[in-house]
Amino acid sequence: MTVNENDLPLHGIRVFELGIAIASPYCGKLMAHFGADVLKVESQTNPDVVRILGSAWLKDRDDLAAIASDTSPYVSEMNASKRSVGLELKTAEGKAAAMQLIAECDVFLANFGARALVDLGFDYDAVAAVNPDIVYVQLPGFGSNEDMPYYPFVAWGPNQAPLVGMDDFTGHAHDPPAGIATVAPPDYMSALHAAIATITGLEQRDVTGEGVHVDISQFETTLALLGPFVMDYELTGTVHSRIGNRSMWGSPQGVYPCSGDERWIAISATEPQDWDALRTVLGSCVDSDFDDPLIRVSDQDRLDEQISAWTAGFESEDLAGRLQAVGIAAHIVSTNEDLLHDTHVTSRQWYQVADSTRLGRDVFTNSPVKLSRTSGRWTGAGPSMGQHTRDVLSEVAGMSAAAIDNLIEVGGAFEQIDPETTTTRPWDDWVHLLLPGTEDARDL
Amino acid sequence: MSGPYSGLRVVDTTGLAGAYATRLLAGMGADVIRLEPPEGSPLRRLGPFAEGIEPPENSLWWSYLAMGSQSVVIDPEDTESLTKILTEADVLFEDRLPNASKLSTQDINPKTIRTRILPFGLTGPKRDWRSSNLIAWAASGILYTTGFTDRAPVAPAAPVQLAYHASAASALVGTLLALRSRRLTGLAQEVEISMQEAALSIAPETGVPMFMDDRVHRERSGNRRDLGRPFGLYPCQDGFVSIIVLMPRHWVAMSQWVAEATDNESIVEEVFVDNAVRVEARDLIDDWVEELTQQHTRLELFEEGQRRGIPITPVNTIEALVEDPHLQAADFWQTTSLQDGTETRIPGAPFRSSSAWWSMAPAPRLGQHTDHYLS
Repeated sequence: MTVNENDLPLHGIRVFELGIAIASPYCGKLMAHFGADVLKVESQTNPDVVRILGSAWLKDRDDLAAIASDTSPYVSEMNASKRSVGLELKTAEGKAAAMQLIAECDVFLANFGARALVDLGFDYDAVAAVNPDIVYVQLPGFGSNEDMPYYPFVAWGPNQAPLVGMDDFTGHAHDPPAGIATVAPPDYMSALHAAIATITGLEQRDVTGEGVHVDISQFETTLALLGPFVMDYELTGTVHSRIGNRSMWGSPQGVYPCSGDERWIAISATEPQDWDALRTVLGSCVDSDFDDPLIRVSDQDRLDEQISAWTAGFESEDLAGRLQAVGIAAHIVSTNEDLLHDTHVTSRQWYQVADSTRLGRDVFTNSPVKLSRTSGRWTGAGPSMGQHTRDVLSEVAGMSAAAIDNLIEVGGAFEQIDPETTTTRPWDDWVHLLLPGTEDARDL
Repeated sequence: MSGPYSGLRVVDTTGLAGAYATRLLAGMGADVIRLEPPEGSPLRRLGPFAEGIEPPENSLWWSYLAMGSQSVVIDPEDTESLTKILTEADVLFEDRLPNASKLSTQDINPKTIRTRILPFGLTGPKRDWRSSNLIAWAASGILYTTGFTDRAPVAPAAPVQLAYHASAASALVGTLLALRSRRLTGLAQEVEISMQEAALSIAPETGVPMFMDDRVHRERSGNRRDLGRPFGLYPCQDGFVSIIVLMPRHWVAMSQWVAEATDNESIVEEVFVDNAVRVEARDLIDDWVEELTQQHTRLELFEEGQRRGIPITPVNTIEALVEDPHLQAADFWQTTSLQDGTETRIPGAPFRSSSAWWSMAPAPRLGQHTDHYLS
């Protein structure tokens, strides 16, 4: 293969992805952004959860019920720039076509349960039998070793964070655990580790010719972030747990009320020089004995009360600006509506717009990984289910039109439902307000 | 060092922002040099500290995150040594604000990949703003939605420093892509991470595309959510379990379990199969479920619930994780030695590969490798 210096890092790489929800799809989205041809292989009988979620505004639109599977915002959020291939892997014909695709792929990426992959016949040994130097990366909840106690257990997003200790670390001291609820860090940390493993596997294969099987047990991966707490438990028996928004390393740090209903500011001023700067804006609103860093730590309740009384007189955005101006880390506690007006975020092209066959165009968030020279691209929003079945089977697996017709006929594959049914999101006219150069998206 | 990145020279000038990335690189065989000022890396000042060991060698954060790396001390004024170290670097990790970085493009070898982890990125109105784990979560929309309604909202798992680690892991993805591109084309480039964006990428539920779709102003709701019932944390004999029941088959299994364990005939009534009805009657459902959960321990509920096909997990504490039978059977835990020779338990490799990719030496002493690299 000839190399052009403007090629994206994963140019020429093809990924076969069996993904559900986040852990594998988010990894695949990053791969697609940086040049890989990611084939999202989907089933109608056992669909990805993002195909079931649908869209809030579509609930009363019976005329659009058939295409609901293409309308959840998560479809683009997790699958932008991928190609969707509809294959029913539980049929012999669908499975055979999948194996033909796998033979032409560089990476196999899946977060199906370990036992589900074995039952379907897509475990490492089966896949390596058709493609011996494949980079095979799987993300089961509890690892792929069937002899381990939790191997058959079910794990998914909202339950995974408490399992790996995140919920116990969340909330104010002396309160019950608050729980993470709206965020599933283990899914994303697993996805990032999967990306790290995939690129490493591709480098190894290119240099040595050998593929690799990487098993990312989502139970284990996120625990790698808990090292110091595990060590301290072992050494002293201390069970570290939630401490609200406070820092283990200094004071003050917290979330304080501002003027208005449920308006808050987060402030981190844990270093000695931070206190000097904070003092210049606080003046005599906090007691003078807090100039002693030991008292700031030992009497945080009193300090937080006095800071809260001070912050309550300010508008949150204004106060954040004042604090940052003197070098103190601070930010409003943004609501989802605040993020709509966050012109810093929009100025950095955080929201991307790309073509969607079903919705005309769709909005999704950019990659947090930015490269200056090979900066990635989005070839499309999230695909419709089965949108690329025919193209991919023809172009990648070399199947004839007649063979593809037959495969669809016997139920081994499916194409996009009702391709002529299209719509737009209700807010489509205002999409440009999310793009750079817009002063504010408040009109939305 | 062996491993897939054997021979790769990485220089890390960051603290928490990049440490998890360079820890992984060290684990996979790279030569990771942590450049330290004479008083030591900021990581060395982060407690908890090991008893009986003098500073600056007693931080457990340093002892964990700096494993497998080399310590080179350079006085900030010693530009000659800095230039020597940077000249030979394949990768440089940096976390200085754009206006505070002392390095200009001329100082950096054109073949070196410069990975910059910044609070709000290199561009935009907040490019010079400072951050922290707490600030990144505040700017992501997630902090606002976490916590009990009558208390101030809280960052997710604040002590774990997830926003830093997510930034570092994202930075490593970018760095490995840049290394691959350099191998193929001979050209290096810069990698940029905004901590705010690293947190936003974990938080699509409070993200703008979701908000535009349903226009629901997300609010905090304690440790249960009204998307379903039971949904959230439930008290048990030794702590809490997490139960997430949305699908009809999960409810059928859950209600039968409660009925059997507590002689509750009402809970299996047909009307409750409708999730919307259960959400409406959430206080009643929660009381009934708690009658079951409070009879048992986390692990009993986990194993029996999973056997019945219900999405249930223990709310694990650090202690519970260390004692967990699956992690022990899977031989997950490894050990490292502190500077006084004390052996202690640490989490093992974050993934398992069929090729030998992972090995970890203990963290270095301050300046342990200065002579090796500078003489």
